[in-house]
Amino acid sequence: MSSSREDLLLPLLLLLFLLLLLHLASLCLQSLSLVASHACHPPPFSHLIPSAHQNSINPPPSPLSSHVHALVSPTPSTLFRCFYHRRGMAVSGFEGFEKRLELHFSGHDSLGLRRLRCDALAQVLDAVQCTVVSAVGNRYFDAYILSESSLFVYPYKMVLKTCGTTQLLRSVPCLLRHTAELGLRLRACRYSRGSFIFPRAQPFPHTSFAEEALYLEERLPPSLAFRKACVLPSSSSHSWHVYSASAADDDDRLAAGSWSTFTVEVCMTELDRSLARRFFRKKGDERSGDAVGADMTDLTEIGSINPRTLVCGFAFDPCGYSMNGLDRDSYSTIHVTPEEGHSYASFECTGRWAGGRAEVLDSLRKAIGVFRPGAVSVSFCMAPNVDENQVRSAVGDALEPLGLSCRSQAVEEFPGAGIVTYQTFTPRRE
Amino acid sequence: QIAQFGCCGKNTSLKLRGRMGNLFSRTSSSLVITIHSKGKWNQHWQSHLASNKLMVIDFSSSNCGPCRFIEPEINAMAARYTEIEFVKIDVDKLMEVAEKWDVEVVPTFVLVKRGKEVGRVVGADKKELEETIQQQLQHQQRY
Repeated sequence: MSSSREDLLLPLLLLLFLLLLLHLASLCLQSLSLVASHACHPPPFSHLIPSAHQNSINPPPSPLSSHVHALVSPTPSTLFRCFYHRRGMAVSGFEGFEKRLELHFSGHDSLGLRRLRCDALAQVLDAVQCTVVSAVGNRYFDAYILSESSLFVYPYKMVLKTCGTTQLLRSVPCLLRHTAELGLRLRACRYSRGSFIFPRAQPFPHTSFAEEALYLEERLPPSLAFRKACVLPSSSSHSWHVYSASAADDDDRLAAGSWSTFTVEVCMTELDRSLARRFFRKKGDERSGDAVGADMTDLTEIGSINPRTLVCGFAFDPCGYSMNGLDRDSYSTIHVTPEEGHSYASFECTGRWAGGRAEVLDSLRKAIGVFRPGAVSVSFCMAPNVDENQVRSAVGDALEPLGLSCRSQAVEEFPGAGIVTYQTFTPRRE
Repeated sequence: QIAQFGCCGKNTSLKLRGRMGNLFSRTSSSLVITIHSKGKWNQHWQSHLASNKLMVIDFSSSNCGPCRFIEPEINAMAARYTEIEFVKIDVDKLMEVAEKWDVEVVPTFVLVKRGKEVGRVVGADKKELEETIQQQLQHQQRY
């Protein structure tokens, strides 16, 4: 018996050695492909596109497509997909980072998009793979809490923000069909997102920013002639991706006075553990999402971020929280993925500059204070005549009392869409 | 802060009444009483005070998507819970009533018994409304 065991021992050792070699080889290949994908990281598209200002009278057909095509062609990372699949399975969780789509329309009646029928909206959400959890409306707009984030419907503006592995952009063709039936014309589209924590888990067309831009390029009407796609970088591995398409340029919009509001999007990761735990349901608490959500709103003082806001909070099972806030014609929204390892929270709101500036900075500071995150990004989208230097330094000042220091800043102008800023913050090292 | 509602668009309850003429439509199409005038509301309120029935007031607006979204569910509930009275108040027509009941967004459902508020659900959350109604019915059965 012992001799046969010794016979087996040598081949077993050889086999183990071979397996070890293979494993080392796969690790090497993985790290190589990581380097490769960094090198292939789409550079800011802006320098590839002739400035729209030069062509404001006769806008050229969008030159974006050919560049987007070049970026979509096979990258080295696709060759190593088999190794990524195994690695992706090991580290995976709910993707908190949202994809955000803002659409502007024009029409002739006072209700506009709010006339969209329930089945039309249901079809749109079906394409995205999410459902309505709760919804309210006031005189100015309708606000929906979805299974994966939020939807805001104004007469001529729609904001759809979804997280997880939803296919947000698939809403576009469906929406364009239904809005055409209502006699509404698309005037502008802006798509933005941060960097996914689990990028490999994303389905088409969200597998890369190039794919997303190409998807929009192919589906938006040619009347949206002013287009731009850009990745705003930061000092970390995170970036801010923005694609915009507009029928009118800056001058037209400024003249029309259609630029009264700004939007601010805040993304937070590495949430303080004890604060994140507040967004878990207590064991045995069988109450409704609304009831538990209301408790979470009170406990975390989310209601006091903007005292004028009417907050509709919802608690998911076993954890997670969403809220939509209504303050006259402004919305705000918060979404929380509290699980450790991939914790995430977002805060977004709109506002007006006249007198509203100090308010929004207070709201930003309070919202970030609810989560005490290890990393924050703040992105404003505003009219081109706003002093973005002032805005950036004001944000820095607002976050300073939280012990947060600005690590990077980027700014980009999008014709017809405005100025987009992107600032990242981490706690000051004592 | 009380929301100010502007003039409403088409009146959805008129559409419902039209459909009731169709023999083959579902019977749940309008067991919800829609109130358009202050006079009718006062009348209804007086009869509510005199009764022992639970009443669900659905503050709604025809401009509002979420209200349309939950409308079929309310009609279904009205057919199912025959012991409860379902009343729909158009907030664009009856602004003062909405203000009196602190309605800031729609839909808002206020449950009343003998003139007193016993429950409130803000938003088109069918599950939440169903649970709140069930709670009240169970409470009623005990007393």
